[in-house]
Amino acid sequence: MSNPVDGLRTWLLQRVSAVYLAVYLVCIPVVFWLRPVADYTAWRERFADPVMAIASAGFILAVLVHGWVGLRNVILDYVHPIGLRLLILVLVAFLLIGCGFWGMRVLILASGMA
Amino acid sequence: MTTRRSAPVYLNLFRIQFPVGALTSIGHRISGVLLFLAFPWLIYLFDLSLRDAAGFRHAGMLLQSGALRLASVPVAWSLFHHLFSGIRFLLIDIEAGVELRQARASAWLVNAAGMLATLLYVACIR
Repeated sequence: MSNPVDGLRTWLLQRVSAVYLAVYLVCIPVVFWLRPVADYTAWRERFADPVMAIASAGFILAVLVHGWVGLRNVILDYVHPIGLRLLILVLVAFLLIGCGFWGMRVLILASGMA
Repeated sequence: MTTRRSAPVYLNLFRIQFPVGALTSIGHRISGVLLFLAFPWLIYLFDLSLRDAAGFRHAGMLLQSGALRLASVPVAWSLFHHLFSGIRFLLIDIEAGVELRQARASAWLVNAAGMLATLLYVACIR
């Protein structure tokens, strides 16, 4: 059983999430350019749309995966004292997971599911 | 058990050669860390904007404030540079533009495009 954050799988996760993030980031400005949002009601309706909600939930998930692998690589390269390295890795993980839950909560509330 | 690499230690900053691709690469790391740091603030603004009509207006006012417009400039550069250089790295992964001359040219292009897009962004928000 290999470490889930090591080697080829990590490399692949980083690329797959990168492609998702890039596609979302290119599509979103086009969507808002084609169908502009003028007020709160329109803004809320836009994120209540299931396609938009699911695509955005996927975006948040991709940010978590991509951010974790990227930050982990940077921290392993530059932070060598083992205690400090562990502390920063834990802080990064908490921040990413916390923001992930937060973002998902916002999307669920906006979708009217809760 | 410990194997130490005998890589040359060469930390004189005036003698380190920094090829253009290295700038793209370190820029990708710096912009990635900045985007990570911006993430909670962006989620906060997103939350505020979807809460209610007052929150939507409040988020709009925050985005138009001088402090946030200024803070958004490095975030915008980070997004542009990370996206452009990320696409370049993905292309290099699939063996496109690996040859040195092409790789140098695309590194220049990516660095310049990130700066140019940031300048356009600044022109739009000022």
